[in-house]
Amino acid sequence: MFRKVLVANRGEIAVRVIRACRELGIRTVAVYSEADRDSLHVRLADEAFCIGPPPASESYLNVPNILSTAELLGVDAIHPGYGFLSEDPRFAEICRDARIAFIGPPPEAIEAMGNKARAREIAQRAGVPVVPGSPGPVRNEREAYQIADRIGYPLLVKASAGGGGRGMRVVHNREDLARALQAAQREAEAAFGSGELYLEKYLEEPRHVEVQVLADSRGNAIHLGDRECSIQRRHQKLLEEAPAPGLSPRLRAQLYRAALRLVRTIGYVNAGTVEFLVDRQDNFYFLEMNTRIQVEHPVTEAITGLDLVAEQIRIAAGERLRFSQREVEFRGHALECRINAEDPARDFRPSPGRVVSFVPPGGPGVRVDTHVYAGYTIPPYYDSLVAKVVAWGRDRTEAIARMERALREFEITGIRTTLPLHRAILDNAFFRRGEVYTNFVQRRVDLGQLGRWSS
Amino acid sequence: MSDDQRPSLNFDEIRELVRIASEADITELEVEAGHLRVAIRKAPRGSAPPPTPVNPPAATSTPPAATSTPGAPAPEAHSPHWVPVTAPMVGTFYRAPGPDQPPFVQEGDRVEAGQTLCIIEAMKMFNEIPAEVSGRVVRVLAEDGAPVEYGQPLFLIDPQG
Repeated sequence: MFRKVLVANRGEIAVRVIRACRELGIRTVAVYSEADRDSLHVRLADEAFCIGPPPASESYLNVPNILSTAELLGVDAIHPGYGFLSEDPRFAEICRDARIAFIGPPPEAIEAMGNKARAREIAQRAGVPVVPGSPGPVRNEREAYQIADRIGYPLLVKASAGGGGRGMRVVHNREDLARALQAAQREAEAAFGSGELYLEKYLEEPRHVEVQVLADSRGNAIHLGDRECSIQRRHQKLLEEAPAPGLSPRLRAQLYRAALRLVRTIGYVNAGTVEFLVDRQDNFYFLEMNTRIQVEHPVTEAITGLDLVAEQIRIAAGERLRFSQREVEFRGHALECRINAEDPARDFRPSPGRVVSFVPPGGPGVRVDTHVYAGYTIPPYYDSLVAKVVAWGRDRTEAIARMERALREFEITGIRTTLPLHRAILDNAFFRRGEVYTNFVQRRVDLGQLGRWSS
Repeated sequence: MSDDQRPSLNFDEIRELVRIASEADITELEVEAGHLRVAIRKAPRGSAPPPTPVNPPAATSTPPAATSTPGAPAPEAHSPHWVPVTAPMVGTFYRAPGPDQPPFVQEGDRVEAGQTLCIIEAMKMFNEIPAEVSGRVVRVLAEDGAPVEYGQPLFLIDPQG
């Protein structure tokens, strides 16, 4: 097992990794930017080292400074968390060259899944259904029209290097295709440095369902069930649950089989998530694979009783999975609400600043992962996640009741947060019946009426 | 993000000055910016440790150059215009170009802007760190061979010295 782990991240996930390390008896090194001197991960780690000025490009993405810190302080592994360097195959490779374990998959697997067009090709080869679309990147406009005529409208133009909805356009008819291609290409070039595009059939009211997998370096791979992540706003997940409500046992078994086929095909090692779109006829399509720990991993932990971050560390240290598929037990239902420092009354504009009071909820079945405390100043440089509230219940009804109770208890003043939006979603009759799809917030939540959920 | 749009020091900058003052072996620091003047005075030595929860493994030795070194010119301890030289990267701090060689600079030396003050080794590369201002080296704050973090004060230079 490792003796000392460097946590190459910030915020709640850095705190989460430090906690797992401490329980495993591993010393921790926090790295931080000048804007995060007072952050909780800096306080909790055994050692902390400043690695740069506030902009992430000069600190949390500063590979030379992170690696120098790792070498100077003698760490034997780096946990990248999510975001930042977690899905950068070059970083994973540099770690390998420096003989420091990267707590994540091998660089080849990150690379294979990182390029969306290539990931699609690999999924198809593995016999995993993909959304009908171009077999690979589209080379020119003429080819785009041919493929579009074959798959039909509406369709999606997507960037190969994309994510988070950037470089993506919905095209409703043939006349709009050329313009959408140009716009998506410009956006993708600006955001990702690559204007490579592909086309996909646009599914109406699909659900976003994903499968958590764990694979060790000895060829053992298991799934830890599914999660529903349909509640999103502008392609950013807001509320997740496990298991996905109302999936038929047959569909569930198909999803697990497909996810594990992909894992074996690419020789995946460590924790990962295979994302699918599910339509109203129970057809499912591979969306992408996230080759890292995910924000919403605690809902899976809540229903399995496992510590996914600890398992990641054990796998990276070369250990064999400690349980077989049959030994994984699923119990109850869990929800996670992502509380962001955003102002729902002003189009979810970021709301950084000093947190005056911070009273997180507690009690039976409630877990809060956060790096925030009263008096902490949320810097404007990074993502707006303030806290993840996770509620577990014996069934979905109890989990929802607990989450409602927890959100009512949660007191945050000094900044604006998305708490009112979550209260509105939990109270929504469609949500309570489990009728969710990726444009749920857009269709079912009146964002102009969130004022009544403010306290 | 500051409410105050006037061109003065913001809260973070003041906090940064406090940090520099606490980590550097000085008792007083005064900075003027626009209409604002900030003076930081520390309690006599032997009081507070550095405020950051940093535990560098090599920081076990005694504090750097003692404040009350006999012979140190007394007025310098109160100079508000000293300029800190901070580490521009994470790495190992070396005062000399090689082992068994004399240090680039000593306390009391006069340096010109652009002159090398030290080396920081990072990723097997030796980066020479130059003085940004001309003046006299009044304090060497980091220890030879020690790991230094980004922004850590390494020297204090008195531009009027």
